[in-house]
Amino acid sequence: MSDEELMAQVRSGVGEMLGVLFERYHVPLFNFYRKLTGDRGVSEDLVQEVFFRILKYRHSYRMDTSFRAWMYQIARNARLDYLRKHRSEVSWEPEMSPAMAPVDTAQQSQEAVLLHAALMRISEEKREVLVLSRFQDLKYEEIAQLLGCEVNTVKTRVHRALQELRQVFHQLESGKPQGR
Amino acid sequence: MNCEAIGELLPDYLQGRLNPDLAGEVEKHLSGCPVCGEEAALWKNLALLPEEQPSPALQSRFKAMLESYQEGRWEKSSLTAEKNKSSMPMLWGLGNWRQMPIAGVVWACVFLLCGFLIGRQMQRPVQTAEDPRIDALRTEVASMRQMVALSMLQQQSASQRLEGVSWSTRLQQPDPKVLDALFHTLRFDNSVDVRLASLDALSRYAGQPEVRRELVSALQEKQSPLVQIGLIDLLVDVHDRNAVPQLKRFQQDPKIDPNVRKHVDWGIDQLN
Repeated sequence: MSDEELMAQVRSGVGEMLGVLFERYHVPLFNFYRKLTGDRGVSEDLVQEVFFRILKYRHSYRMDTSFRAWMYQIARNARLDYLRKHRSEVSWEPEMSPAMAPVDTAQQSQEAVLLHAALMRISEEKREVLVLSRFQDLKYEEIAQLLGCEVNTVKTRVHRALQELRQVFHQLESGKPQGR
Repeated sequence: MNCEAIGELLPDYLQGRLNPDLAGEVEKHLSGCPVCGEEAALWKNLALLPEEQPSPALQSRFKAMLESYQEGRWEKSSLTAEKNKSSMPMLWGLGNWRQMPIAGVVWACVFLLCGFLIGRQMQRPVQTAEDPRIDALRTEVASMRQMVALSMLQQQSASQRLEGVSWSTRLQQPDPKVLDALFHTLRFDNSVDVRLASLDALSRYAGQPEVRRELVSALQEKQSPLVQIGLIDLLVDVHDRNAVPQLKRFQQDPKIDPNVRKHVDWGIDQLN
């Protein structure tokens, strides 16, 4: 069954169908937040919040629209609300914590670790567009709709994000500790 | 093609959305230009970042949420049956009361049921007051009153929020969360009536120094003159001398209403 059909059922009150959507999307959503915030706990809370909102606002879902786009809209709003609530605690978060490597660092190549650190250090706005286009497989048109901007703006942002990522990556690479 | 032109095409190229001719041109440039080549390589290498798995707790939290949603709906249609099921939505409500507009209704129902149970317990002649079950129920009722007050303070309609404020006055020992919610209402509620009601509710706890401190700091130029006067009266009533510096500062504010200013003068007189 398509996402849209499932959501139509959820909308009409068949709550179990949300379980199927959860199975399809909780891992991608978790990774979306994980790459944006760098924090596993916060990411899990936000995923839970998204499904809670899907249930709460199920009647506002329009049947003829893409479920994925609607869900990411909710996901984005949930994160913005979270940032608003926790502004003081979050301000230090991704950009200033270069040591924040994924848990299973040992199994990863040095390059992946650096890349992760670099991704965490580029500006929020660029990171978001990169994560959406690279990891969430959203088309630029979908991202433009999500962010409320022109498609060309999204493409420019993707390119700028890559430029910034390259610079930060080089900085990290040249400053990395020896012996690895 | 130069780097600038390639930069415009690159995002489409990376998502595989260029026609073969253009894609060929881009590739030719990438192989000759280290900077653009690296950018494209970074995009590819982002695939090295592993897809991570959330902890199993996420799954169980989701299931609990879904179940309580389904039970909540079910509960409305058959309220009197299976009272033990009511504990699930309660736990859920604890975490999410802010987001739940229907929480007030659910809480009211659960509360009614408990009230009924307590009533029945009380009528048994030989039961002594020390019965631990009664104590447990009492605590439960207190925490429910608190939840009802909190969730009602979040409602859209001003009359429901007013009701929330009046619920809060039924608590003997309000939780910091309730006080916070009341202060938030006092400062930011859209309706002056609700703000005045929350001031009235807070006046019950004005004996606590931290409550008084918050009240003093709530005296702002942006408030409605009615609330300002109410606040001044309350501070005079509780004879809080610590409020004098803030009152003096407030008095200097050019934007306040002249009548309020007179009242501030009076308040400072009374406190000195």
